[in-house]
Amino acid sequence: MNSSKLLRVTAHEAENPTEVSLREAFFLLQPQLKPPFPLSIPSPSEYSQLNLAIAFGILTEPHLAKTHLTHLHAIVIDGYNFFTTTLLKLCNESYPKLLETPRIQILWLTSNLVQVAAVHVDSLIISLLRQTIGGHFSESNLWLCAELVKILSDNWDWILDEPLVLTSALFVYLRLLADHYRLGGSVKLDSLKRMEIDFCIKALRECFSLCLQIGRDLVRLLQDLVHIPEFRDVWKDLLFDPRKFQVLGFTDISGLYRMRTPAHYFLLRITPDMEAHLRFLLTYVNWGSQKRYQAWFAKKHLCWPGSETVIADIIRFICCSHHPPNEIIQSNIISRWAVVGWLLKSCRRNYFEANAKLALFYDWLFFDEKVDSIMNIEPAMLLMVNSVPKYVDLTHTLLEFLFLLVDNYDVSRKEAIVHGVSAALNLLVRKGVVRSLEPLTSCNLLSLLLRERLITFLPRSDPGVVKASSDTCSQRMVTDGEVAPVLEEKG
Amino acid sequence: MDAYAGSSIMENMVPLKDVAPAATNTVNTQFILLEKGSITQDGKETTCLALVADETASVHFQMWGSECKAFEPGDIIRLTDGIFSYHKNNLVLRGGKKGKAEKVGEFTMLFVETPNMSEIHWARDPDNPKKFLQEAVISPHSRIFPPSQ
Repeated sequence: MNSSKLLRVTAHEAENPTEVSLREAFFLLQPQLKPPFPLSIPSPSEYSQLNLAIAFGILTEPHLAKTHLTHLHAIVIDGYNFFTTTLLKLCNESYPKLLETPRIQILWLTSNLVQVAAVHVDSLIISLLRQTIGGHFSESNLWLCAELVKILSDNWDWILDEPLVLTSALFVYLRLLADHYRLGGSVKLDSLKRMEIDFCIKALRECFSLCLQIGRDLVRLLQDLVHIPEFRDVWKDLLFDPRKFQVLGFTDISGLYRMRTPAHYFLLRITPDMEAHLRFLLTYVNWGSQKRYQAWFAKKHLCWPGSETVIADIIRFICCSHHPPNEIIQSNIISRWAVVGWLLKSCRRNYFEANAKLALFYDWLFFDEKVDSIMNIEPAMLLMVNSVPKYVDLTHTLLEFLFLLVDNYDVSRKEAIVHGVSAALNLLVRKGVVRSLEPLTSCNLLSLLLRERLITFLPRSDPGVVKASSDTCSQRMVTDGEVAPVLEEKG
Repeated sequence: MDAYAGSSIMENMVPLKDVAPAATNTVNTQFILLEKGSITQDGKETTCLALVADETASVHFQMWGSECKAFEPGDIIRLTDGIFSYHKNNLVLRGGKKGKAEKVGEFTMLFVETPNMSEIHWARDPDNPKKFLQEAVISPHSRIFPPSQ
């Protein structure tokens, strides 16, 4: 029978190696963990063991935590590197299974490690931020949101020197607020929302030049919050008075549109488990074998009420943070566009479906070959083309949505958006992701209006057909060193 | 982060394609649980049949007692000292009295559903009555848990 002081385990679960090493170190060195602490200098392996023992002690003996921490401060010789890295490992591997006491302790430790500017505490904070689950309103999840925003707000001077933590936390809390704000009614929740709003507004008003590092997804996140008064003011300033942010060179919101959001931000809104499962699916699972994996993924990550909100985040991750190498693209491994198609079909409510589609097309709107990646726009194109004819409704919906975005996303900057979408389409054809747009433009199952509109995005002289020597659907085209699949009927 | 959990090295680990019926608990193997049947009572014992598989084959895995609620589809399970034998006319893999099944991971393991070692007609080796040989395939995949469409 397994019993654990750290992790929630069932009778038939293998022991977690990290937990084992922590526990064994603790029991081995327990006599040394009480004052007076030995003053001898430990060897490297003794040092590691001592760190592990102290960690286990703090996590499982809250009444002795302060003593253990004092001990740690006394013996540390590596800037808390090993200690923090151990916590980071535990968190990445097992946070969802941590019992309540170790969870409380790990947050208490994080706060203390921030105060001593421990090495890798930034990674620890980001790892914990990733454990906040979108659309999940359980006590423990909301508690984690609150504890983290408290640590960040209480250590503002420290966070000013940590742009990655600041921008990552802003990304996370803007996203969480979109879900939290809709929830009514408890005093605890209102207090959480207040802290989240105050943190985000402070970051935006006082450190806007750092916030810009997020890039265009900052706009996408802010637009879901315009109904919150403080954010409405931010939004107004962004659109009508950008100089209020006092950032040299930032004179218009289009400056932000033109900045691609770096891939690591999209990891923030999916948990390490989700990331591992998605990457496995897209790296190892063959076409035809994906059904069971998709069912398990849905059962684990998309089954509670409100979980649909995460689908947009997963789509951003797939498009922007998971770029398969050519060997995978050329192989029989399931393609990103198919997984995106499955996710879109999993949306039940219009609001989340719209956000998911926006997530899919977001990098199309302001696409610029010089800063953007074709890999970010490829899944949408292949999904539309490969859904013809069997799932042509989806192609229709997506095209319609794309044009809706072009016309309405930012009416006063429509020209820039038309330019972006044209650039995206043209690059996709030029690089051979699709041989041409003909499968769409000559598809009778799509409305004439949509087809004619699509043609307007192509250069007038070029009907959008890349000359190919053969019409075989199974060929892969090599263009400019980038190998990409041509139109193929799959599934 | 380990993306692929299917490659632990343990003494005497066998791929599922190499299991053959035997009266002894000598099966050490690792598989992923694909599907669970309903939990039923077999006298005093609680029991549940499942379809499990690795990259080489699938097989029916019989769970007993607390195992029935402990394992879910998607779980990666390591079986030590298991036994592959006939139980009430079903050829199943199970922990048995001396074996142990433990969850070691989730999701990140490849599998095939064909062949299914439980859907094979085995006959005793004329040269070695303790050994069984594959005589005929009853079904390429599980008839109890047919592959999802």
